[in-house]
Amino acid sequence: MPKDHDKDVYPEPPSRTPVEDRQSSLPNPALILSKLFYYSVDLPVTTFRDIVEGIQSGKKSHYYHQKFRRVPELTQCQEGDYVCYYEAEMQWRRDYKVDQEIVKVIQERLRACQQREGPSYSQNCYKELQQFEQVSKAFQSRYGDLGAYASARKCLMKQKERMMAEQQQA
Amino acid sequence: MVGMSLLRTAAAFTARLNPLKRTCQSSNLLSRTVARSEQVVVRYGSHGKRMFIIKPTDFYDRRFLHLLKYYILLAGIPVAALVTFVNIFIGESELAEIPEGYEPEHWEYYKHPITRWIARTFYDSPVKDYEKMMALIQMEAEKAEMSQWDSHMPPGFHPKYLKLCSEDEQSFYRFGTTWGQLQLEVRRHMREKGDGPWFQIQTLDKNLIDHSPKSSPDN
Repeated sequence: MPKDHDKDVYPEPPSRTPVEDRQSSLPNPALILSKLFYYSVDLPVTTFRDIVEGIQSGKKSHYYHQKFRRVPELTQCQEGDYVCYYEAEMQWRRDYKVDQEIVKVIQERLRACQQREGPSYSQNCYKELQQFEQVSKAFQSRYGDLGAYASARKCLMKQKERMMAEQQQA
Repeated sequence: MVGMSLLRTAAAFTARLNPLKRTCQSSNLLSRTVARSEQVVVRYGSHGKRMFIIKPTDFYDRRFLHLLKYYILLAGIPVAALVTFVNIFIGESELAEIPEGYEPEHWEYYKHPITRWIARTFYDSPVKDYEKMMALIQMEAEKAEMSQWDSHMPPGFHPKYLKLCSEDEQSFYRFGTTWGQLQLEVRRHMREKGDGPWFQIQTLDKNLIDHSPKSSPDN
């Protein structure tokens, strides 16, 4: 079965089983519905999954995450060395994708926190809020308005403009 | 109120007994029974009376839908069966850490068995694509560099071409050659040692060509 989510990052409130205090003799509808769901959906799906895993239990193949070596960046390339430019560009594109995924994970954490805490999220999820703000500001300042045809050169020029603006302010 | 109901019954009575609208003149006028006629209710052994219902043709619409279903299912059912059997009997791969000292093949980076098969059978590995791209870039860069030689620098001084020649040829090249002379030299080398039809097809000796004026009618 696939792994469950990380319980530390997305904490759940402690479950409170209520003390049963039945005051009516009518059957409990929640129990009826849960049993109905179990027998009509949960049990068939689980048995099917077990059968399929029984068929597949012998030969398991594996897949891996590719690890890329670090190559010299655009600033470390000689001028006119187009091969070096190409490798730096590919590395920048991989880093761009990784950064996009990082921002998505932080967003997901903030969303889960807001869902958990309800109306008092601005107080209880302060850490996640600060983290999200920091990460999104950094992403915006580095990759912000580069557009669909973004490249390592354009990002470098944006960094240059940023540094020049900082110097002018100082 | 009682008067109203009396009036209502009187009105119904007169409506039934209306001489202008009398349908039957039998003796059951004053009673409320229904007249029993001699007609019998017909009970069919088939699905009722056959009607000729006039409506615009739906032949073309039904033909279109039939053909649509046929052609979609013609390829759809085998593909669906194939994908179902692959998912059930072969199953997806599991994520694992790369073992020490092992370089996974390029298809082993994908999860689904059909994706792995496509990557193994049809596609080149991304490493090979990367290298191909870098080779193209290097060739274009060299061409761009060489095209700049016509303007300023004689080619003889380029170390890359010097080390391809023999000793005396190197001394020939070091002191003043033009790009055109190098081209002729390259073509001579290709004719002797190269491959391909452009260089290997035997042609007549160039000295036999008559370059004098009026040697051919088109001059």
